Order: sequence, then structure tokens, then C-alpha cells
Amino acid sequence: MIPTLLSQATNDPALGAGLPVTPKTFWLPEGASTIAPEIDWIFNFINYINYFFFVLVIGIMFVFMWKYRQRGREVYARGPNHHTMLELGWTIIPTIIVVFIFFIGFKGFIIAKTVPDNAYQIDVTAAKWYWKFKYPNGAISDDLYVPAGRPVKLVMRSEDVLHSFYIRDFRVKQDVVPGRYTSLWFQADNPTEGEDFHHIFCTEFCGTGHSEMNRKVFVLPETEFDNWVVEQGRWLDKVSDEDLWWKAGPQLYRACASCHTLDGSVGTGPSWGNYDGNGNVWERTKAGSTHKIDGGKNLGDIIGPGKEYETPEGYLRESILNPGKHLVDPYGNVMPTFKGQLSDRGIQALIDMMKNLDKFNKDGTVKPDAIPNAGGAAGAAK
Amino acid sequence: MTTLDSRPVVTEVKDNYLTFTRGLLSWIFTLDHKRIGVMYLFAVLGSFFVGGVMALLVRTKLLFPGKVEWMTADEYNKAFTLHGAIMVFLVIIPSIPAALGNFVLPIMLGAKDVAFPRMNLFSFYLWVVGAACAVYSLMAGGFDTGWTFYTPYSTQYGAGGTIPVLVGVFILGFSSIFTGVNFIVTIHKLRPPGMTWFRMPLFLWALYATALIQILATPVLGITVALLVIERAFNIGIFDPSMGGDPVLFQHFFWFYSHPAVYIMILPGMGIISELIAVHSHRHIFGYRFIAFSSVAIAIFSFLVWGHHMFTSGQSPLMNVLFSAITFSVAIPSAVKVFNWLATLYKGSIAFNTPMLYALSFMFLFTIGGLTGIPLAVLSTDIHLHDTYFVVAHFHYVMMGSALIAMIGGLHHWWPKMFGVMYNEFWGKIACGLVFVGFNMTFFTQFMLGSQGMPRRYYMYQPEFQIYHHISTGGSYIMALGFLITAIYLIHSLFAGKKAPANPWGGASLEWQCTSPPPHDNFATTPRVGDCYDFSAVRWDEKQQGYVIDTEAHLAAASSGKGH
Repeated sequence: MIPTLLSQATNDPALGAGLPVTPKTFWLPEGASTIAPEIDWIFNFINYINYFFFVLVIGIMFVFMWKYRQRGREVYARGPNHHTMLELGWTIIPTIIVVFIFFIGFKGFIIAKTVPDNAYQIDVTAAKWYWKFKYPNGAISDDLYVPAGRPVKLVMRSEDVLHSFYIRDFRVKQDVVPGRYTSLWFQADNPTEGEDFHHIFCTEFCGTGHSEMNRKVFVLPETEFDNWVVEQGRWLDKVSDEDLWWKAGPQLYRACASCHTLDGSVGTGPSWGNYDGNGNVWERTKAGSTHKIDGGKNLGDIIGPGKEYETPEGYLRESILNPGKHLVDPYGNVMPTFKGQLSDRGIQALIDMMKNLDKFNKDGTVKPDAIPNAGGAAGAAK
Repeated sequence: MTTLDSRPVVTEVKDNYLTFTRGLLSWIFTLDHKRIGVMYLFAVLGSFFVGGVMALLVRTKLLFPGKVEWMTADEYNKAFTLHGAIMVFLVIIPSIPAALGNFVLPIMLGAKDVAFPRMNLFSFYLWVVGAACAVYSLMAGGFDTGWTFYTPYSTQYGAGGTIPVLVGVFILGFSSIFTGVNFIVTIHKLRPPGMTWFRMPLFLWALYATALIQILATPVLGITVALLVIERAFNIGIFDPSMGGDPVLFQHFFWFYSHPAVYIMILPGMGIISELIAVHSHRHIFGYRFIAFSSVAIAIFSFLVWGHHMFTSGQSPLMNVLFSAITFSVAIPSAVKVFNWLATLYKGSIAFNTPMLYALSFMFLFTIGGLTGIPLAVLSTDIHLHDTYFVVAHFHYVMMGSALIAMIGGLHHWWPKMFGVMYNEFWGKIACGLVFVGFNMTFFTQFMLGSQGMPRRYYMYQPEFQIYHHISTGGSYIMALGFLITAIYLIHSLFAGKKAPANPWGGASLEWQCTSPPPHDNFATTPRVGDCYDFSAVRWDEKQQGYVIDTEAHLAAASSGKGH
């Protein structure tokens, strides 16, 4: 059994490539990742040791129960009080066994923890009670799509409480902790067929919807995955112009939310709401505005026909792509540029959202009664 | 009673702790360890009933994979939280030390009481206040955090009763500490002449090791829940990352207590099993010193392994490796105990009384519970099994199948001593069998559920798991029936039970050398002690329908140097 272990004990994905999916057994669900056979081998190996000791202990117990049952109440039994060699024996032998078991478990753990350099990174956000997956090209999805035959690394964070990300068929699990990033990796070699998928479960108790915090993993053949992720990256293009402000705006605003509040309260950056008496971000961004920028100047002085920005939109666009050019008092130059990350259409969506700010809750979600054609449209808000 | 010489009758009345004084106040203000033990016993059994009803509600919901009309997800979360919190803090932790230990420990030492009787009573009332806090928390909205109170859920979202129950846990901690302090001092100072450390019954070694953990670990729990209350009530950031805290720190604090607490629960149970197996096998315990030292070893190691609850928490891989390695060290003393009990059966004269059936159940269930700890201690397999039903099954095999079964075995063992009556042996055996079968149906299926990947604390689940849940719930009903029968014949015995002899099982430790029930002062004079596992001077007495000890022969055998 040891050689089997060593041959599987490798984190070289090339050696693991093409491993078939192992079928569901009495104890274990199907194994669909490259580390699953290693974990399953250890689990089964421990099970066999356990069967042996269980049968040994309980078998002896039943034999003694039968053989030494009381025959009449007078019987006083005489047996050995102790036997030092025997007792040392059953202390030392189990010690050797568990040291060995620790070692193989340790080895499996190191493999499961060592992320291959060429891993494809997907960012995971957990919140009550959903998972969000973001791919390197900016594409996002509710279910997880991964390329077959390629190591995938998930970098995870939580927006509220503890969650735990678990794909049982891949034998991977990792808590998702607010305030820090955690990660795990896996490689699935076999594409899921058609409607088939692997379960994602949340395994750390997170409240009412804990048991519904389930999503699916689809493993796609590599070229199919590449097409999918490009297609998925164009989600913004699929939103119609008139729905941009409430379908795309809030989605993009989540990247702004950590610094810019919507209700006027103080944040790392100026609130989009009313915080200096000049109205919200759209209301104060206009010709003649007395909103103070750049150490005492009026914002209105740079907006308007013939001024630095012909239109308010021009100033807002500059503030997103080149945030250091003009600074709202008393804030410093701390905002990163979003050049290259936001398309023109994405900027349009954000500006459209600013124009309709009274239709949003302070957490950035759109008020349900403000949604155009409210019937049925609410479900599409993502 | 017409004659003037009513002296023997008076002695008979005075001679029994139950009838020594009468009236409710005589119980409320009693300093008698036996009465305090009995009050603890009924309080704990009452809590066990409530916790058990919660478990049955949870199991009944799980018959169905989807939503049910009569229980929402929030109600389900509160039910399993209440079940866990009650069973851990109100039942298992106090059950053996505070209920049975309180009753038996001073008598086993030939003492009149524990070292600090007032502190003992105070400990009981702290338990009552703690339990009252838990009841109050139900009226304040209940609590739904799981018994582990993980942050930031517990500080930001948990239901309205979270603070009251945390206060309750804080107070219960002191109750536990007081019992521990009392037992340590009692064992150090009140041993009778001739009872060296290695002449003590093994139950006392176990209680001593338990008491060490109680006084060293419980303060950490107190501090932890106090910090939690401070964070939740005053928004002071300790564990909440949005206020600069760290939720993983909470887990470290919590398990620094709660892992040793696992041994607060199981060690006294192991002590009881050592007594039960030796007495009902009528045979000297095998390997006394190994069993005694293994209790202390477990108590020490228990402080070094808390991190194995956190293999997926995000703590560093190096920590995981160290904690995994140290965890295996706890397995060894546990295994040693099982082998020693097994060897005690060898060449014994095994009487299958109800207490012994529970002891044998314990060995069966503890072996499974212990062995299934191995894949959880192994790093790579724990990643798959962590927070699934496999863990649930494992700790129920240890906490319920072992600690609680030992407690019930001990209850049957000392019941005749506590109340002076015998229960119905036939129904005792039937009930033990039902509990054993029901338990295995309930929890063995959960090993499969867990290794197949079903997470714990799930209100709804995939239909593929339903068959396991059906068997599990069916088992829980059978178990409930077993406990119901137990409650009926035990209560029945109080009113109509046959009078118990002083020594119904043939024990040789001191508690079997006073009457059943014991007199108020336990012993008129400090008894002399022999080897409590030497049964050579114990004989069956047909007239008394019990065993008697030839004290002189017993002492002579001990002083002749036989023994350990």
C-alpha cells in the first residue's frame, strides 16, 4: 500500500492529469479531483485499521463475556492484576501506528495545500446566503465554472459572517473568514456532462439560509471554458441602455461601496449622498456648485460651457479614471484609478445610478418600487 | 412505639440522610453532599429531558428534506442550538462530577462530607441561576448561534437571547469551578488513614483529573464569553474584523476551554466504567496504575490539542500540522484504558446486571467513538469530514454513547445506595437494550451521511440523504422509548422498589460498607481501608440478599502486600 501512496503523493498536475472520476462507494461520494484518490486512499486505509481494532476489541469482549460469565453468586474471581510487558506493549504498538497514520495524513495535507504555480485564479465572495465567483477578465457568475485539467485556485473572502466553502466531490474545504483572505485549490480532470454538476455546500453555520447556501460546480473542457468566460465577461453589454442604472449600476457600485457611502455618512472618500449641504453627488456636480475642491475652490468653477469640463459627466468620468486630478476637500489622493477596469459603458452605468440616487437604499440595492415594470423585473436584479 | 425504649427506631430514622431532617427548607439549605448530589441529579435529569425533546424535534424535522410547515429554518436553528447548549452545559458537564461524584466521592473516602460543604451548595445554586438565565434567554428571543457561539454571527446577528445565555454559561462555569476546587481539596485532605493515592478507587482518580481541567480551563471560557458579551453589548471590537478584531481568535479561546471540556465530560465516565467493570466482574481491576496515570495524561494532553477543531479555519498550516501530531497523543491513554478494561473481564466472574450492561455498551460505543476520531485527527481526511455529520456522529458516540451512557450506568450502579431501593432489573435490561440499539441506529447512519458529504446544522438537505435520516430518526425514537422506560421504573422503584441491601453488587470500596441509603454522617467512625478492588473477602449473604465484606480478612489481604 505504501508504494500506491507514494505514486499518488505528488503535486505535479501533469502526473495527475486524466485521472478518472472514482465512483460513489459505501462511505465516500464520487471523487472528481486529482487529490480525491489520495484522500480516499488514506480514509479507507484508516478504516481498515479501525475495522481490525474494532473486531479485535469487541470480539475479545464478547468471548470474555461468554466464557467468564458469572456462575452462581459465590464465585470470586482471581485473575492477574497487571502485566507490565503486556501493558507497555499495548501502549507502544498503538503509538507506532498513530505516528504512521499522522505521517500519511500530513503528506496528503501538504499536497492539498501546495498550490501549483500555474493555477487559474477565481475570486470568491461569500455572503449571507450566496456565493459569487469572479474570473480574471471581470466575468462574474453565481455558479462556479472551472476548466478541466487545469489547477484552479480560489481566493475567498466573506462580506459578513463565517462561511465555509466545500466541494465534497473534490474533497476540499476552507472556511471563508471576514477580514482575511483564505484560499484553496483543486484540479478536476473530467468535464461534467450536460446537466451534471458537483455540489458546493456552505459548511460553517451562518444563520437562516445556511442550508440553502448551495451552488453548483460545472467543469468545462478547456476551450469551452475559455469561450464561456469571454462570453460571461460581456454581461454588461447584455444590459439594455435604459436598465443600465439599476441593473449594472449597483453591481459595479459594490467596488465603490467600501469608501463611498450613499447616505451622506463619512467614509474613506466623499459620500455620494448629501454630506456638505450641496446635495448628493449628482446634484452638487454642476455649474455654479459651491462644493469645495482642491483646497477651497468651487466645483462649479470647473464645470460648464467653456470650462475644464463641458458637462458634469465629464468631471465624474475624470474622477473615476484619474482620481487625483481634482480632490474633494478635505480628502487626500487615495483613490486608485479604474482605468482599464471599467469600460465606458460601466462608467455610464455608474453615472446613471448617481442620477437616480434617490431610488436606492443606503446599502446600494435598488428600492423595489423604483424598478421599471416592477412585475417580474425584480428577479432579474443581480 | 408505646415502650420508652424507642432508641433503635430513632437510630433507624436518624441513620438515613433522606430522613435525617424533614421539610423543604431542610433540602434548600442542606450542606449534606448527598442531598446536594441528589438535587443536582434531578436537576440534570430534568435538563436532559428538555434537551432530549429538542433533539427529537430536530430529528423529526429531518425526516423531510425540504421545508416543513410546523418548523421554520430559524426555529430549527434555535432547536439544535438549545439541544447542544443544554446537553453540554447543563447536563453532561455537571452530570457525573456534580451529581454522582458529589454523592459518592466523600463516602468512597470514608469522609463525612466534601471539604467545603457551603461552597458545594453554592455551586448548585449557581447552576440553578445559570439554568434560569438559559430559560430567560428563551423568552428574550432564544438563541441560534449553535452551542459554539462563533463570531461574528453571535455578536452581529444572533437572536435576542444570545446575551442572557452567555451570562448563563459564565455563571455555570463558576459552578463547575467550585465543584472542581472542592474535589481537589477533598481528595488531598480527607483521605482516610491507609488510603494512599494508589489505594483510591479509580473513579476518584478520574474525578481528580477532571477537577484539574475544571479549574484550569473553565476560567478561559468565562473570559471568552465575557468578551463576547462586551462586544455584542457595547460594540467593542475584539472578534469582529470590522472593528479590528479577529473571529479566529474567538475560536482559539473557545476551543482552549471546550476541548479540555470534552475530557471534563468523558474522564468521569471512564472512572465510572473502571468501577463498574471491576465490581460486576468480581475481579481485581487490571493495570490500576496505567488506568490512573492515563486519566492524568489525558487531562494534561487535553490542553494541547484545541487547534484540531480548526483545521479549516484559516489558521496556519504549520499550526495544523502540530495540532494534528499532538492530537494523536490523546488517543494512546484512551486506548490503554480500553485494553485494561478488556483484561479485567479476563478470568472474571461477570454478572450481567443493568449497570454492567451499560458498561459493556460503553466499551462498544467508546471503541467506535475513539476509532472514528482518527480520520478526524488526520489532516487530509479531516478537510473532507470537518463540519459534516461525521463529526456529529463521532462526538455523539463519545459524549452520549460514552459519557452519558457511563453516567446512566453509574446511576444504576449507585441508585440502590442513593435511595435504598432496587429497581426492576428486567425492565432495566430491556431499556438498556433499546437505548443501545436506538443509539447505533441514530448515529451510525450519521457517519455515512457525513462521509458522503452532508454538512451539519442543515435545515434542508439533498434528497439522496433522506434514507439515512429516516433510519437515524427511527433510532432516536427507539432511544427515547428506552429512556422513557428507564424513567418509569426508576420513579416506580422510589415508591414501590424492593429494599436494597448495603451491598447489592459485591463492591469492596467504602460506599458499600455503609447502609443503603447511607446515614447522615456516612460513617460513625473513620473506616479503615483495604484494597478496594480486592474482592476475595466479599461473600454473598442469602439472608440479606446482598453481599457482605469480611472486613478483617479484607484488611489482612491488603496489608499482606497483595494488590497492585
